[in-house]
Amino acid sequence: MSPVLDARGIGMTFRNGDELTEVLKGVDLTLNPGELAALLGASGSGKSTLLSIVGLLLRPTVGTITIAGERVDTLSEAQRALFRNRRLGFIFQFHYLLPDFTATENVAFPAAAPAGGISPEMRRRARDLLARVGLSDRMEFPATRLSGGQKQRVAIARALMNGPDLVLADEPTGSLDRASAEQVLDLMREVNQEDGATFLICTHDEHVAARCTRRISLSDGRVESVMRTDLGARGA
Amino acid sequence: MFAFTVARRYLFSNPSQTALLIAGVALGVTAFVFITALIQGLAIRLTDDVTANSAHVSLEPVTRVARVLPSADVDVESVAIVSTFQRRQIRAWASTVELLRSQPSVSAISPQISGSAFLVKGEAVAPVAVSAIDPSGLDAISPISTEIVSGDASLGADGILIGVRLAENLGLSAGQPVLFRTDRGVDRLLTVRGIFQTGLQSLDERVAYLSLQTARPLFLLPEGVTNIEVKLVDPARAREFAAFLTEATGLRATSWQEKNANLEGALAAQARTGTLIQIFSLISVLIGIASALSLSANRRRGEIGIMRAFGVSKRFIAGVFVLQGLLIGVVGAGIGCLSGFALCSWLATLTEPDGMMVLPIAPSEGGYVAVFLLTTLGAILASVIPARSAARLDPLEAIQQ
Repeated sequence: MSPVLDARGIGMTFRNGDELTEVLKGVDLTLNPGELAALLGASGSGKSTLLSIVGLLLRPTVGTITIAGERVDTLSEAQRALFRNRRLGFIFQFHYLLPDFTATENVAFPAAAPAGGISPEMRRRARDLLARVGLSDRMEFPATRLSGGQKQRVAIARALMNGPDLVLADEPTGSLDRASAEQVLDLMREVNQEDGATFLICTHDEHVAARCTRRISLSDGRVESVMRTDLGARGA
Repeated sequence: MFAFTVARRYLFSNPSQTALLIAGVALGVTAFVFITALIQGLAIRLTDDVTANSAHVSLEPVTRVARVLPSADVDVESVAIVSTFQRRQIRAWASTVELLRSQPSVSAISPQISGSAFLVKGEAVAPVAVSAIDPSGLDAISPISTEIVSGDASLGADGILIGVRLAENLGLSAGQPVLFRTDRGVDRLLTVRGIFQTGLQSLDERVAYLSLQTARPLFLLPEGVTNIEVKLVDPARAREFAAFLTEATGLRATSWQEKNANLEGALAAQARTGTLIQIFSLISVLIGIASALSLSANRRRGEIGIMRAFGVSKRFIAGVFVLQGLLIGVVGAGIGCLSGFALCSWLATLTEPDGMMVLPIAPSEGGYVAVFLLTTLGAILASVIPARSAARLDPLEAIQQ
């Protein structure tokens, strides 16, 4: 089984004036299809930078990245945007839904923008995804009328709209209360287990990591440990 | 087009702010329309004032100058002396009138004998510019008969029409005799048949009308005329028609624009001032659009960031902002044109007690097409800066904020 993500020797150095800061120091990371992996680390460990590099939002200083069999670190800016659109899904700490659009329109947006409009097929898929995340009764609600937890569930549905090979989540429950956070975590696990979607969740929250099938700990820009968590897989 | 849908939703998301922005554009366009209509109206009024009571083209004999005569045999130069006593005249004026009658652009023709004279009443003497005309064509150049305020417009064999200020200066009234003395010293007693009031001081104080028949012996011109005055259907074409007449007749043809070069210069200066005001009002409109869209792009950084993260193209995001500019421009310019026309139309109805318009405004000359196109185009250009900055937004930076 070929990995969904294969990142090799990822290094990242930021320049701030004359000062150079090495955030990532030769990180190797591999994810297999259907994995629900947590990327753990203290603040400043480099986990968000690694997630951004894997999400093609940032170019590494060194290293190679292959996603679903395609070498992506050499792509041009436009090709990276196209790849992100078709092959990756994103969930951020803040949902960033478009407030002037309904839940269905928000979910359909990643497909609609390049296509020039929301086709009936897109609308149908968006509604299916909203039903999947438990928002059947909120499909035509404007984003502004949804609760924080509901908005984050719409964001999850939006991340899945184009059938991504890999979903990247950066502190997806960071702005939610405990009950909403639990719902969102349950939902991501459900989607992972039932649909086989591969998730890489960047978090500093042990509780979130405990729900994942693998824990990848970063410390000082290096992978400190990789641990399979059967407990997470069983859904305890 | 999905970018259009997004642009429309963005504008409708904050109706009061969008309404204010459109109102600002409409106000600027209204100001543009008002200034254009006012300047055009003023130019039309001034041109009408000048051309209504004077000829659009004047034909006169060419000025004669002394010239050196060539001499092959003798070592002296001969010079042809031009008589300054003999009045310059157009002898073959009948054929020139025929030529003018055949031109569809000519609306009236008036062969005249023009000269200088004095009117003497007792001890009072006043210089006058005389226009001797065919009585049947009295109103051909200036509608004198409609401006008679005393007496009537029948010139007859010994009649004279004078202006109201001249009559006041000499203490004359209709029906009274006055001594007419030409610049050649020929005297004749004439009767004031009518007194006119054109409102133009130069006419009311200085001009007197006689019949051609009366003038011939007085100005020693038994056959010819001194000038032929022409009115055109379109006064604006006087300059080119004058050039044609010079070519066709060999006479000196002068357009009303040449005679009123100062007026033309004043109108041009006025137009330049208007253009500056128009440019400033457009610039203020465009700055308003650019700043409002820049604020919008800044407020929506997170949304734009997520769009970029999802791989939505820079072109799409730039398109959303350019389309917002286009919509604001089209709607604002449309409303501005309508309100500008309404304002000018209302102002055109305001008149002074004497019937004159309070503002010489021409509502139909508001430059509507130009301002609509300029505003729309300008709005698109003004939106390019915020559109580019939105499209160039680093998604990671925007999301992390």
